[in-house]
Amino acid sequence: MSEASRREVRAGLEPCLARLWRYALILSRANDVADDLVQATCLRAIERADQYAPGTRLDRWLFAILRSIWFNEIRARRIREGGGFVDAEDALSIDGAHAIETNILAAQVLKAIGQLPEAQCETVLLVYGEGYSYAEAAAALSIPIGTVMSRLAAARAALTKLR
Amino acid sequence: MTDDDADLVALIDNELDETTKSALLARLATDGQLRARYEALREAGAPIAASLDALLQQAPVARLRAALPAERAAPAPQRRFAGIAWRELAAGIVIGLLAAGAAAWVALSLAPREGAEDWRSAVAEYTGLYTNETFSPLNPDAALQAAELSAVGARVGANLTPDKLALPGLRFTVAFMLSFEGSPLGAIAYVDPEGNPVMFCVFANQAPDAPLRSERRDDLSLASWSRGGRSFLVVGRVPEERALALAQTLEKRV
Repeated sequence: MSEASRREVRAGLEPCLARLWRYALILSRANDVADDLVQATCLRAIERADQYAPGTRLDRWLFAILRSIWFNEIRARRIREGGGFVDAEDALSIDGAHAIETNILAAQVLKAIGQLPEAQCETVLLVYGEGYSYAEAAAALSIPIGTVMSRLAAARAALTKLR
Repeated sequence: MTDDDADLVALIDNELDETTKSALLARLATDGQLRARYEALREAGAPIAASLDALLQQAPVARLRAALPAERAAPAPQRRFAGIAWRELAAGIVIGLLAAGAAAWVALSLAPREGAEDWRSAVAEYTGLYTNETFSPLNPDAALQAAELSAVGARVGANLTPDKLALPGLRFTVAFMLSFEGSPLGAIAYVDPEGNPVMFCVFANQAPDAPLRSERRDDLSLASWSRGGRSFLVVGRVPEERALALAQTLEKRV
């Protein structure tokens, strides 16, 4: 069991890196912090591989670890140290060259998502980016489903102003 | 934001319970303003997923991969994977995509076995660790595929291109370098529609020519041959005939 867990966690980290980084960026709004957060998550996952049940969603287990490290450790420390937060305005942006390759709308939408309040932004990522059901998002965020609904509605309402 | 927004968005996301849904649909049928709001919210949300996906493309995967911690404790040597130390396995996870065409280079030392022949055992054991989730998320564009294959080909002395390595029913996901007993070992990972990995390996081991042969090891099929100082291996959780057919295709092209 624990051997299987370790193996699955080890093998599963690499394919999850980009998505972990995206989640870390959404939470931290800072590239360097996102890198560190992903690194800390991988380390913690390896340390606690025994707690992972093989065959279950490794990605979601990793997300939970990442979220816990962010809220309980990094973010908490920043608040204690009075470091404050990065201005979210331009945190989520697509670099110019890539924006042209993909499309301008994506860049605009991303910027608008970056301007949403922290909690809305995270909920949007989990539901629309990661495919969590409302119930799954509620469980992951430890909030009622009604709060998931109101956050998503507020986010969409804000995005209607893009047009 | 209006009072109905949460229900409208839940309706769009197909998350509304049946009772509320029926009531809301009835109102939508008669209320033009509500319909307009529904449309506005639906349109506003439509590009969210694609925009978030665009962000994924910017993830510094190579840097994150390089920072993956190495495992300290090695498992007991009698284990099935005894041939590959966990520390090296960590390096093995450090595979994959090349940033801006530069080779992501991993010098993975698969532990020496009884002989050069046993590189196939090492690769087979390593392949046994991959799941149908390991490579599935990787989806390189044509330029990246070509860059990866070219870099790997240069190291093993083979001309590897996406055309030559395209295989029926399989999708190319990543090409990366390993080494076995100091000789370069190129690995190309494919997945079938279910995500099951199939590896094609080119090992510059100066082995004498050997004809194509296939075998089963546990749940893996292996098909291998040697030519021109290089050994080739197709390995995956596929029927033996399938591995052999893939190897025959590749033998003609590489």
